[in-house]
Amino acid sequence: MMAESQEKKVGIVSCSGEGCVEGTISRVATRLVLEKLRPNETVTICLPLFLAGGKEEREFARDYPTITVDGCNKMCAKVATERYSAKPASSIIITALTRDWGCPKLGSRRKLNDEALAVAGKVAGRIAEEVDEVLKRWV
Amino acid sequence: MSEHFRTTFDKFELRVRKGCYYTRDDLWVSVENGKVRIGVSDYLQKTSGDVAFVEVAKPGSKVEQGKEFGTIESAKTTVALFSPVSGKIDEANGKLDRKPELVNSDPFGEGWLVVITPLNLDDDLRLLVNSEDYYKLMLQKLQSEHGKLESR
Amino acid sequence: MKASPKKVIVIPCSGIGKAFGSISRDVTFEVTENLRKETTQTLCLALLVSGDQESLQLVRDNKCITVDGCPLQCAEKNVKYAGGKLAGSFRVVDVYRENRHLKLRSVTFLDADGQKMALAVAERIGKRVDELLRDE
Repeated sequence: MMAESQEKKVGIVSCSGEGCVEGTISRVATRLVLEKLRPNETVTICLPLFLAGGKEEREFARDYPTITVDGCNKMCAKVATERYSAKPASSIIITALTRDWGCPKLGSRRKLNDEALAVAGKVAGRIAEEVDEVLKRWV
Repeated sequence: MSEHFRTTFDKFELRVRKGCYYTRDDLWVSVENGKVRIGVSDYLQKTSGDVAFVEVAKPGSKVEQGKEFGTIESAKTTVALFSPVSGKIDEANGKLDRKPELVNSDPFGEGWLVVITPLNLDDDLRLLVNSEDYYKLMLQKLQSEHGKLESR
Repeated sequence: MKASPKKVIVIPCSGIGKAFGSISRDVTFEVTENLRKETTQTLCLALLVSGDQESLQLVRDNKCITVDGCPLQCAEKNVKYAGGKLAGSFRVVDVYRENRHLKLRSVTFLDADGQKMALAVAERIGKRVDELLRDE
Protein backbone atom coordinates (compact mmCIF):
# COMPACT_ATOMS: atom_id res chain seq x y z
CA MET A 1 0.00 0.00 0.00
CA MET A 2 2.69 2.49 0.94
CA ALA A 3 4.66 2.61 -2.27
CA GLU A 4 7.90 4.53 -2.13
CA SER A 5 6.99 6.53 -5.19
CA GLN A 6 3.76 7.86 -3.63
CA GLU A 7 3.76 11.31 -2.13
CA LYS A 8 3.62 10.80 1.62
CA LYS A 9 0.24 11.78 2.97
CA VAL A 10 -1.90 10.47 5.78
CA GLY A 11 -5.69 10.44 5.60
CA ILE A 12 -7.58 11.47 8.73
CA VAL A 13 -11.07 10.01 9.04
CA SER A 14 -13.00 11.72 11.78
CA CYS A 15 -16.42 11.09 13.14
CA SER A 16 -18.47 14.22 13.59
CA GLY A 17 -20.93 12.53 15.88
CA GLU A 18 -23.77 14.75 16.85
CA GLY A 19 -24.61 12.51 19.76
CA CYS A 20 -21.94 13.69 22.16
CA VAL A 21 -19.46 16.46 22.85
CA GLU A 22 -16.62 14.07 22.04
CA GLY A 23 -17.90 13.95 18.44
CA THR A 24 -17.47 17.72 18.22
CA ILE A 25 -14.03 17.46 19.78
CA SER A 26 -13.09 14.84 17.19
CA ARG A 27 -14.13 17.17 14.41
CA VAL A 28 -12.38 20.25 15.79
CA ALA A 29 -9.18 18.36 16.59
CA THR A 30 -9.03 16.93 13.07
CA ARG A 31 -9.52 20.37 11.56
CA LEU A 32 -6.72 21.77 13.73
CA VAL A 33 -4.36 19.09 12.45
CA LEU A 34 -5.38 19.73 8.86
CA GLU A 35 -5.17 23.52 9.06
CA LYS A 36 -2.36 24.17 11.49
CA LEU A 37 -0.36 21.26 12.83
CA ARG A 38 0.26 19.05 9.77
CA PRO A 39 -1.26 20.85 6.76
CA ASN A 40 1.15 19.42 4.20
CA GLU A 41 1.11 15.86 5.46
CA THR A 42 -2.59 15.23 5.94
CA VAL A 43 -5.77 14.92 3.95
CA THR A 44 -9.20 14.77 5.53
CA ILE A 45 -11.60 12.10 4.43
CA CYS A 46 -15.19 13.34 4.53
CA LEU A 47 -16.92 10.52 6.41
CA PRO A 48 -20.48 11.07 5.10
CA LEU A 49 -19.16 11.14 1.52
CA PHE A 50 -17.05 8.08 2.27
CA LEU A 51 -20.12 6.28 3.59
CA ALA A 52 -22.23 7.34 0.60
CA GLY A 53 -19.73 5.74 -1.77
CA GLY A 54 -17.39 8.66 -2.53
CA LYS A 55 -14.84 7.18 -4.92
CA GLU A 56 -11.99 9.57 -4.19
CA GLU A 57 -12.41 9.17 -0.43
CA ARG A 58 -12.49 5.36 -0.55
CA GLU A 59 -9.59 5.05 -2.96
CA PHE A 60 -7.43 7.37 -0.95
CA ALA A 61 -8.19 5.45 2.25
CA ARG A 62 -7.34 2.22 0.43
CA ASP A 63 -4.05 3.44 -1.04
CA TYR A 64 -2.70 5.63 1.77
CA PRO A 65 -2.35 5.13 5.51
CA THR A 66 -5.22 6.48 7.58
CA ILE A 67 -5.80 7.52 11.16
CA THR A 68 -9.36 7.27 12.42
CA VAL A 69 -10.59 9.63 15.12
CA ASP A 70 -13.79 8.57 16.87
CA GLY A 71 -15.74 10.35 19.56
CA CYS A 72 -16.95 7.24 21.32
CA ASN A 73 -16.44 3.50 21.43
CA LYS A 74 -18.98 2.85 18.68
CA MET A 75 -16.01 3.75 16.47
CA CYS A 76 -17.99 4.57 13.33
CA ALA A 77 -14.99 6.04 11.49
CA LYS A 78 -12.84 2.99 12.20
CA VAL A 79 -15.59 0.51 11.29
CA ALA A 80 -16.34 2.32 8.02
CA THR A 81 -12.69 2.64 7.03
CA GLU A 82 -12.05 -1.06 7.58
CA ARG A 83 -15.23 -2.05 5.80
CA TYR A 84 -14.87 0.08 2.70
CA SER A 85 -11.15 0.64 2.29
CA ALA A 86 -8.50 -0.82 4.54
CA LYS A 87 -7.51 -1.22 8.17
CA PRO A 88 -6.37 2.15 9.50
CA ALA A 89 -2.75 2.59 10.52
CA SER A 90 -3.87 4.04 13.83
CA SER A 91 -7.13 4.69 15.70
CA ILE A 92 -7.96 7.23 18.36
CA ILE A 93 -11.05 7.21 20.59
CA ILE A 94 -11.74 10.50 22.33
CA THR A 95 -13.68 9.04 25.29
CA ALA A 96 -10.73 6.77 26.04
CA LEU A 97 -8.33 9.72 26.01
CA THR A 98 -10.53 11.92 28.19
CA ARG A 99 -10.87 9.10 30.68
CA ASP A 100 -7.10 8.63 30.81
CA TRP A 101 -6.51 12.36 31.16
CA GLY A 102 -9.16 12.71 33.88
CA CYS A 103 -11.03 15.40 32.01
CA PRO A 104 -13.95 17.18 33.71
CA LYS A 105 -17.45 17.06 32.21
CA LEU A 106 -17.05 18.74 28.88
CA GLY A 107 -20.32 20.57 28.38
CA SER A 108 -22.19 21.42 25.20
CA ARG A 109 -21.72 19.40 22.04
CA ARG A 110 -22.76 22.41 19.98
CA LYS A 111 -20.30 25.02 21.18
CA LEU A 112 -17.19 23.78 22.96
CA ASN A 113 -16.45 25.44 26.27
CA ASP A 114 -12.89 26.35 27.29
CA GLU A 115 -12.18 22.96 28.82
CA ALA A 116 -13.44 21.14 25.75
CA LEU A 117 -11.43 23.41 23.45
CA ALA A 118 -8.33 22.66 25.47
CA VAL A 119 -9.05 18.95 25.12
CA ALA A 120 -9.50 19.39 21.37
CA GLY A 121 -6.09 21.03 21.21
CA LYS A 122 -4.55 18.18 23.16
CA VAL A 123 -6.22 15.60 20.93
CA ALA A 124 -4.94 17.46 17.88
CA GLY A 125 -1.44 17.16 19.29
CA ARG A 126 -1.94 13.43 19.76
CA ILE A 127 -3.18 13.05 16.19
CA ALA A 128 -0.17 14.99 14.91
CA GLU A 129 2.16 12.64 16.81
CA GLU A 130 0.39 9.67 15.24
CA VAL A 131 0.81 11.25 11.81
CA ASP A 132 4.54 11.55 12.42
CA GLU A 133 4.73 7.93 13.58
CA VAL A 134 2.86 6.67 10.54
CA LEU A 135 5.09 8.66 8.21
CA LYS A 136 8.21 7.34 9.97
CA ARG A 137 7.03 3.78 9.33
CA TRP A 138 6.59 4.66 5.64
CA VAL A 139 10.09 3.73 4.56
CA MET B 1 -7.07 5.49 -25.26
CA SER B 2 -8.33 7.71 -22.44
CA GLU B 3 -10.24 10.86 -23.29
CA HIS B 4 -8.43 12.69 -20.50
CA PHE B 5 -5.07 13.33 -18.98
CA ARG B 6 -5.43 12.53 -15.29
CA THR B 7 -3.54 13.24 -12.13
CA THR B 8 -4.23 12.84 -8.43
CA PHE B 9 -3.58 15.60 -5.93
CA ASP B 10 -4.25 14.62 -2.31
CA LYS B 11 -7.41 12.56 -2.73
CA PHE B 12 -8.70 14.45 -5.77
CA GLU B 13 -8.55 13.21 -9.31
CA LEU B 14 -8.12 16.05 -11.76
CA ARG B 15 -8.79 15.59 -15.47
CA VAL B 16 -7.84 17.53 -18.57
CA ARG B 17 -9.95 16.64 -21.58
CA LYS B 18 -7.92 15.92 -24.67
CA GLY B 19 -8.73 17.60 -27.96
CA CYS B 20 -9.63 20.95 -26.42
CA TYR B 21 -7.74 24.19 -26.21
CA TYR B 22 -7.30 25.91 -22.86
CA THR B 23 -6.68 29.38 -21.52
CA ARG B 24 -4.00 29.96 -18.91
CA ASP B 25 -6.75 30.92 -16.49
CA ASP B 26 -8.35 27.54 -16.73
CA LEU B 27 -11.17 27.63 -19.25
CA TRP B 28 -11.55 24.91 -21.87
CA VAL B 29 -12.42 25.69 -25.48
CA SER B 30 -13.93 23.14 -27.83
CA VAL B 31 -14.15 24.00 -31.53
CA GLU B 32 -17.46 22.72 -32.94
CA ASN B 33 -18.30 23.39 -36.61
CA GLY B 34 -16.68 26.81 -36.61
CA LYS B 35 -18.11 27.85 -33.25
CA VAL B 36 -16.51 27.45 -29.84
CA ARG B 37 -18.04 25.99 -26.70
CA ILE B 38 -16.47 27.15 -23.45
CA GLY B 39 -16.45 25.82 -19.93
CA VAL B 40 -14.35 25.77 -16.77
CA SER B 41 -11.64 23.19 -16.32
CA ASP B 42 -11.75 20.47 -13.69
CA TYR B 43 -8.94 22.29 -11.88
CA LEU B 44 -10.88 25.55 -11.74
CA GLN B 45 -14.13 23.99 -10.55
CA LYS B 46 -12.30 22.07 -7.85
CA THR B 47 -10.41 25.09 -6.53
CA SER B 48 -13.47 27.34 -6.64
CA GLY B 49 -15.63 25.17 -4.40
CA ASP B 50 -19.36 24.55 -4.76
CA VAL B 51 -20.52 26.91 -7.49
CA ALA B 52 -23.69 28.68 -6.38
CA PHE B 53 -24.03 31.34 -9.10
CA VAL B 54 -23.03 31.49 -12.75
CA GLU B 55 -23.35 34.80 -14.56
CA VAL B 56 -22.34 35.24 -18.17
CA ALA B 57 -23.04 37.83 -20.83
CA LYS B 58 -26.35 37.30 -22.63
CA PRO B 59 -26.71 35.74 -26.10
CA GLY B 60 -26.13 38.39 -28.71
CA SER B 61 -23.42 40.11 -26.64
CA LYS B 62 -20.06 40.83 -28.19
CA VAL B 63 -17.02 39.51 -26.38
CA GLU B 64 -13.37 40.26 -26.76
CA GLN B 65 -10.46 37.92 -26.22
CA GLY B 66 -8.99 38.47 -22.78
CA LYS B 67 -11.91 40.55 -21.51
CA GLU B 68 -14.35 39.50 -18.83
CA PHE B 69 -17.56 37.85 -20.00
CA GLY B 70 -18.86 36.44 -16.75
CA THR B 71 -18.23 35.08 -13.27
CA ILE B 72 -18.70 31.96 -11.24
CA GLU B 73 -19.33 32.42 -7.54
CA SER B 74 -19.13 30.03 -4.63
CA ALA B 75 -19.44 30.63 -0.90
CA LYS B 76 -15.70 31.16 -0.71
CA THR B 77 -14.76 33.05 -3.87
CA THR B 78 -15.85 34.82 -7.05
CA VAL B 79 -13.90 33.99 -10.17
CA ALA B 80 -13.91 36.29 -13.19
CA LEU B 81 -14.09 34.52 -16.54
CA PHE B 82 -12.08 35.99 -19.43
CA SER B 83 -13.12 35.20 -22.97
CA PRO B 84 -10.69 32.99 -24.89
CA VAL B 85 -11.91 34.35 -28.22
CA SER B 86 -13.42 37.49 -29.71
CA GLY B 87 -16.87 37.16 -31.22
CA LYS B 88 -20.57 37.01 -30.32
CA ILE B 89 -22.27 34.82 -27.74
CA ASP B 90 -24.76 32.52 -29.44
CA GLU B 91 -25.93 30.51 -26.48
CA ALA B 92 -25.62 30.55 -22.72
CA ASN B 93 -26.26 27.36 -20.75
CA GLY B 94 -29.68 28.02 -19.22
CA LYS B 95 -29.48 24.91 -16.99
CA LEU B 96 -26.91 26.64 -14.81
CA ASP B 97 -29.51 29.08 -13.43
CA ARG B 98 -31.27 26.31 -11.53
CA LYS B 99 -28.39 23.84 -11.31
CA PRO B 100 -25.08 25.70 -11.02
CA GLU B 101 -23.64 22.54 -9.45
CA LEU B 102 -23.32 21.11 -12.96
CA VAL B 103 -20.15 23.18 -13.27
CA ASN B 104 -18.69 21.06 -10.47
CA SER B 105 -20.20 17.68 -11.27
CA ASP B 106 -19.73 17.73 -15.06
CA PRO B 107 -17.39 20.57 -16.04
CA PHE B 108 -16.61 19.15 -19.50
CA GLY B 109 -20.16 18.06 -20.26
CA GLU B 110 -23.41 19.49 -18.95
CA GLY B 111 -21.59 22.26 -17.08
CA TRP B 112 -20.57 24.16 -20.24
CA LEU B 113 -20.99 27.95 -20.05
CA VAL B 114 -21.44 29.55 -23.48
CA VAL B 115 -21.16 28.97 -27.21
CA ILE B 116 -19.51 31.77 -29.20
CA THR B 117 -19.33 32.49 -32.92
CA PRO B 118 -15.73 33.68 -33.21
CA LEU B 119 -14.47 36.55 -35.37
CA ASN B 120 -10.85 35.46 -35.82
CA LEU B 121 -10.66 31.89 -34.64
CA ASP B 122 -7.25 30.98 -36.09
CA ASP B 123 -5.61 34.08 -34.63
CA ASP B 124 -7.26 33.62 -31.25
CA LEU B 125 -6.35 29.92 -30.99
CA ARG B 126 -2.68 30.83 -31.35
CA LEU B 127 -2.86 32.44 -27.90
CA LEU B 128 -4.36 29.36 -26.28
CA VAL B 129 -2.61 26.15 -25.23
CA ASN B 130 -3.30 22.61 -26.29
CA SER B 131 -4.49 19.99 -23.79
CA GLU B 132 -1.06 18.47 -23.24
CA ASP B 133 0.53 21.84 -22.43
CA TYR B 134 -2.39 22.80 -20.24
CA TYR B 135 -1.98 19.54 -18.33
CA LYS B 136 1.65 20.46 -17.60
CA LEU B 137 0.57 23.95 -16.60
CA MET B 138 -2.02 22.51 -14.25
CA LEU B 139 0.60 20.27 -12.62
CA GLN B 140 2.80 23.31 -12.03
CA LYS B 141 -0.09 25.20 -10.46
CA LEU B 142 -0.84 22.28 -8.17
CA GLN B 143 2.73 22.16 -6.99
CA SER B 144 3.16 25.86 -6.42
CA GLU B 145 -0.23 27.23 -5.43
CA HIS B 146 -2.13 24.72 -3.43
CA GLY B 147 -2.17 23.74 0.13
CA LYS B 148 -5.57 22.22 0.34
CA LEU B 149 -8.23 21.77 -2.25
CA GLU B 150 -11.68 21.90 -0.79
CA SER B 151 -13.19 18.58 -0.10
CA ARG B 152 -15.68 17.37 -2.74
CA MET C 1 -32.04 5.64 22.19
CA LYS C 2 -35.78 4.96 22.50
CA ALA C 3 -38.09 5.44 19.54
CA SER C 4 -40.57 8.27 20.11
CA PRO C 5 -43.40 8.21 17.58
CA LYS C 6 -44.08 11.92 17.71
CA LYS C 7 -40.55 12.98 16.97
CA VAL C 8 -39.00 13.90 13.69
CA ILE C 9 -35.40 12.80 13.28
CA VAL C 10 -33.13 15.51 11.90
CA ILE C 11 -29.89 14.20 10.43
CA PRO C 12 -27.06 16.40 9.15
CA CYS C 13 -24.27 15.43 6.83
CA SER C 14 -21.67 17.24 8.99
CA GLY C 15 -19.20 17.17 6.13
CA ILE C 16 -15.88 18.13 7.59
CA GLY C 17 -14.29 19.73 4.54
CA LYS C 18 -16.66 22.63 3.90
CA ALA C 19 -18.37 25.46 5.70
CA PHE C 20 -21.67 24.07 4.45
CA GLY C 21 -21.02 20.85 6.37
CA SER C 22 -20.34 22.72 9.60
CA ILE C 23 -23.49 24.73 9.04
CA SER C 24 -25.57 21.57 8.52
CA ARG C 25 -24.43 20.45 11.95
CA ASP C 26 -25.29 23.72 13.62
CA VAL C 27 -28.68 23.78 11.89
CA THR C 28 -29.45 20.41 13.45
CA PHE C 29 -28.50 21.56 16.94
CA GLU C 30 -30.54 24.73 16.52
CA VAL C 31 -33.61 22.70 15.60
CA THR C 32 -33.23 19.86 18.10
CA GLU C 33 -31.96 21.88 21.07
CA ASN C 34 -33.83 25.10 20.57
CA LEU C 35 -36.50 25.68 17.93
CA ARG C 36 -38.27 22.31 18.12
CA LYS C 37 -36.61 20.59 21.02
CA GLU C 38 -39.76 18.76 22.15
CA THR C 39 -40.56 17.32 18.76
CA THR C 40 -37.22 16.49 17.17
CA GLN C 41 -34.05 14.60 17.86
CA THR C 42 -30.90 13.81 15.96
CA LEU C 43 -28.57 10.88 15.54
CA CYS C 44 -25.14 10.24 14.09
CA LEU C 45 -25.35 9.49 10.38
CA ALA C 46 -22.44 7.09 10.59
CA LEU C 47 -24.35 4.84 13.01
CA LEU C 48 -26.80 4.01 10.24
CA VAL C 49 -24.03 2.73 8.04
CA SER C 50 -22.20 0.89 10.80
CA GLY C 51 -25.43 -1.05 11.38
CA ASP C 52 -26.37 0.24 14.82
CA GLN C 53 -29.77 -1.42 15.33
CA GLU C 54 -31.29 1.25 17.55
CA SER C 55 -30.44 3.97 15.05
CA LEU C 56 -31.74 1.95 12.12
CA GLN C 57 -35.02 1.30 13.94
CA LEU C 58 -35.35 4.97 14.80
CA VAL C 59 -35.12 6.17 11.19
CA ARG C 60 -37.42 3.40 9.98
CA ASP C 61 -40.08 4.12 12.62
CA ASN C 62 -40.04 7.92 12.47
CA LYS C 63 -40.12 10.58 9.80
CA CYS C 64 -36.68 11.92 8.94
CA ILE C 65 -35.40 15.21 7.62
CA THR C 66 -31.89 15.36 6.23
CA VAL C 67 -29.73 18.47 6.23
CA ASP C 68 -27.03 18.33 3.59
CA GLY C 69 -24.38 20.95 3.07
CA CYS C 70 -23.86 20.59 -0.64
CA PRO C 71 -25.39 18.99 -3.75
CA LEU C 72 -23.66 15.66 -3.09
CA GLN C 73 -26.43 15.03 -0.51
CA CYS C 74 -24.64 12.38 1.50
CA ALA C 75 -27.11 12.48 4.41
CA GLU C 76 -30.08 11.94 2.15
CA LYS C 77 -28.33 9.07 0.35
CA ASN C 78 -27.29 7.34 3.54
CA VAL C 79 -30.73 7.65 5.14
CA LYS C 80 -32.29 6.20 2.00
CA TYR C 81 -29.82 3.31 1.95
CA ALA C 82 -30.74 2.61 5.57
CA GLY C 83 -34.43 2.41 4.69
CA GLY C 84 -35.31 5.54 6.64
CA LYS C 85 -38.65 7.34 6.19
CA LEU C 86 -37.34 10.38 4.37
CA ALA C 87 -39.91 13.16 4.77
CA GLY C 88 -37.83 16.21 3.97
CA SER C 89 -34.48 17.03 2.46
CA PHE C 90 -32.70 20.37 2.82
CA ARG C 91 -29.45 21.60 1.30
CA VAL C 92 -27.64 24.48 2.93
CA VAL C 93 -26.33 25.59 -0.47
CA ASP C 94 -29.90 26.23 -1.67
CA VAL C 95 -30.64 28.58 1.22
CA TYR C 96 -27.24 30.21 0.67
CA ARG C 97 -28.37 31.08 -2.86
CA GLU C 98 -31.14 33.18 -1.31
CA ASN C 99 -28.69 34.83 1.08
CA ARG C 100 -25.87 35.71 -1.21
CA HIS C 101 -24.70 38.55 0.99
CA LEU C 102 -23.48 36.09 3.63
CA LYS C 103 -19.81 35.21 3.41
CA LEU C 104 -19.21 31.64 4.52
CA ARG C 105 -15.48 31.31 4.93
CA SER C 106 -14.94 29.63 8.25
CA VAL C 107 -15.12 25.83 8.42
CA THR C 108 -13.91 24.82 11.88
CA PHE C 109 -15.82 27.36 13.95
CA LEU C 110 -18.82 29.14 12.50
CA ASP C 111 -18.48 32.90 12.27
CA ALA C 112 -21.39 35.37 12.48
CA ASP C 113 -22.48 34.86 8.86
CA GLY C 114 -22.27 31.11 9.26
CA GLN C 115 -24.52 31.29 12.31
CA LYS C 116 -27.03 33.46 10.44
CA MET C 117 -27.02 30.94 7.61
CA ALA C 118 -27.64 28.11 10.09
CA LEU C 119 -30.55 29.96 11.65
CA ALA C 120 -32.15 30.63 8.25
CA VAL C 121 -32.05 26.93 7.38
CA ALA C 122 -33.17 25.87 10.87
CA GLU C 123 -36.27 28.05 10.70
CA ARG C 124 -37.35 26.41 7.47
CA ILE C 125 -36.84 22.98 8.93
CA GLY C 126 -38.84 23.97 11.99
CA LYS C 127 -41.83 24.77 9.78
CA ARG C 128 -41.44 21.49 7.95
CA VAL C 129 -41.37 19.61 11.25
CA ASP C 130 -44.66 21.27 12.22
CA GLU C 131 -46.23 20.23 8.92
CA LEU C 132 -45.08 16.66 9.30
CA LEU C 133 -46.44 16.34 12.81
CA ARG C 134 -49.77 17.91 11.81
CA ASP C 135 -50.12 15.15 9.24
CA GLU C 136 -49.51 12.39 11.80
